[in-house]
Amino acid sequence: MNLSNEYMSLIEIAEKAGEPIRTDDAHVIVHANNIIAAKDIPGLEIDAEETEFGIRASFTVKAGAVLKKPVHLCFGHLGKEGKQIIESRIVLEEGAKAKFYSHCIFPNAVKFLHAMEGDIVVGKGADMTYEEVHVHGPEGKIEVRPLTRVVVDEKGRYVSNFSLIEGRVGILYLDVEVDVVGWLGSAEITSKVYGKYDDICNVKDTIRLSGEKSSGLAKARVVLKDNSFGKFFGEVQGAADGSKGHVDCTEIVQGNAKAEAVPVVSVVHPGAEITHEAAIGRIANEKLWGLMAKGLTENEAIDVIVSGLLR
Amino acid sequence: MTDTPLLQVDEVTVTRENGKKLLDQVNLRVGHGEVTGVLGRNGAGKTTLAYTVMGLPSYRPNSGRIFFEGKDITNLSITDRSRLGITLAWQYPARYEGITVAEYLRLSRKDATRRELEEALDFIQMEPFYLDRFVDKALSGGERKRLELASIYLMRPKLAILDEPDSGVDLLALGDVIKLFKKLIDFGSSVLVITHRDDIASACDRAYLLCNGKVMLEGQPVAVKQYFMSLCSPCSDPLLAGGVISNESQ
Repeated sequence: MNLSNEYMSLIEIAEKAGEPIRTDDAHVIVHANNIIAAKDIPGLEIDAEETEFGIRASFTVKAGAVLKKPVHLCFGHLGKEGKQIIESRIVLEEGAKAKFYSHCIFPNAVKFLHAMEGDIVVGKGADMTYEEVHVHGPEGKIEVRPLTRVVVDEKGRYVSNFSLIEGRVGILYLDVEVDVVGWLGSAEITSKVYGKYDDICNVKDTIRLSGEKSSGLAKARVVLKDNSFGKFFGEVQGAADGSKGHVDCTEIVQGNAKAEAVPVVSVVHPGAEITHEAAIGRIANEKLWGLMAKGLTENEAIDVIVSGLLR
Repeated sequence: MTDTPLLQVDEVTVTRENGKKLLDQVNLRVGHGEVTGVLGRNGAGKTTLAYTVMGLPSYRPNSGRIFFEGKDITNLSITDRSRLGITLAWQYPARYEGITVAEYLRLSRKDATRRELEEALDFIQMEPFYLDRFVDKALSGGERKRLELASIYLMRPKLAILDEPDSGVDLLALGDVIKLFKKLIDFGSSVLVITHRDDIASACDRAYLLCNGKVMLEGQPVAVKQYFMSLCSPCSDPLLAGGVISNESQ
């Protein structure tokens, strides 16, 4: 099957979204359930196979390997309807360091399911950053279900940034659960979503801190306008001595949009300390007036504030 | 120089929904190239006056008019007033997540070069590395305050309203405030400075004493300052200062 057009389109859209995919970088590029291109590099093992509706892939960053450039995962479909299910397992062995950049590209989707089921293991002293950027079309109704389970070992560090701000969200069920089981392990998960029209945005971030002196931050920035709906559920649980966590949620509502925020802080060890902050509602007047006093109209001021928040 | 003042506030009254008068028939004028001070104790109505001149929706006059360069601006929006050349350096500047100091400053002057941004920061004693920081929790209240003054420096408005420019700013001495006034006047701006500090008022060309939403005194800064120091600090009116006096007597 010749998929050169699909390959070029996905590459171009990914580059416009901010992170170009170079042919010499480690990458896996998938259209529908076709692996169009795959490349590993020293220190990284990739094992990928096509399934009925997507792919199943495992990535292993070998002990001590430090990958200087991001590993690009590009999952997309240029059609209007369909289903894509990605099953992935990423393991960073002891002392490894890597950044994974996942591009999820569905510019024409009207009736589509994109599901991702990811298992991530961050080994002792390993350091992993996971960026997931979605590019959807302006009209489509796509159902996005990213489900990620992460385990972070001793002195391991996991940072993830999920961003769905281009085009319509459609229906989103983002579900990330991180278990920081090791001493001095840390996790920081950030989700940024811009809901429009009648989009439905559900963001569920959970961090359990069972390692001594472990730390966690669950952060969400959700902007909702028109008739969209958003719900953020963020939970950080302190379950070990010296563990520290924080839930930080800001949801901005415009038009007829509706928002809910449920920050949950729970402590099951007396030596743990968990805090939270949540702001939900319209943009504060003092922020708008501050910019309007510099000559911006109210709409221009809103654009500046929203783009900053979702950056 | 023209006879028409840059800013003229005529008999302006601002009343809350509960009937409380925040400003009561206030008259004030700011001349071209002048520094005009508004002095008063906390709660006198100074910031309300600044917000009213800037056009904040909750501070629109119930009666009276505001003129800028002879034009009636009473019903203009904040944006329209700003585009005419009025701006306000807020007493408590807001935070803006995800916006760098450089981007924030360029809202005041789009075409400012990096060198000009650094010069503006240098003027208010901030290092160039701040340009890449975000205007959020990364900056203290004092740093955001300085940034607000740098923003005014770049904007070069016709009228700069400075609401308590020294409050919350570490080490910004009287000399620094006067230096800012002079620089703005050099740029062709006029300044309306809101302050409760008598020494800042004495650096003005003209001063007003505001008390309980009314102008008590207008004139030479020295006279206004003397009145303020002798009768306002502490307040000599037992009705106005009731809380303070009763607290002290306990």
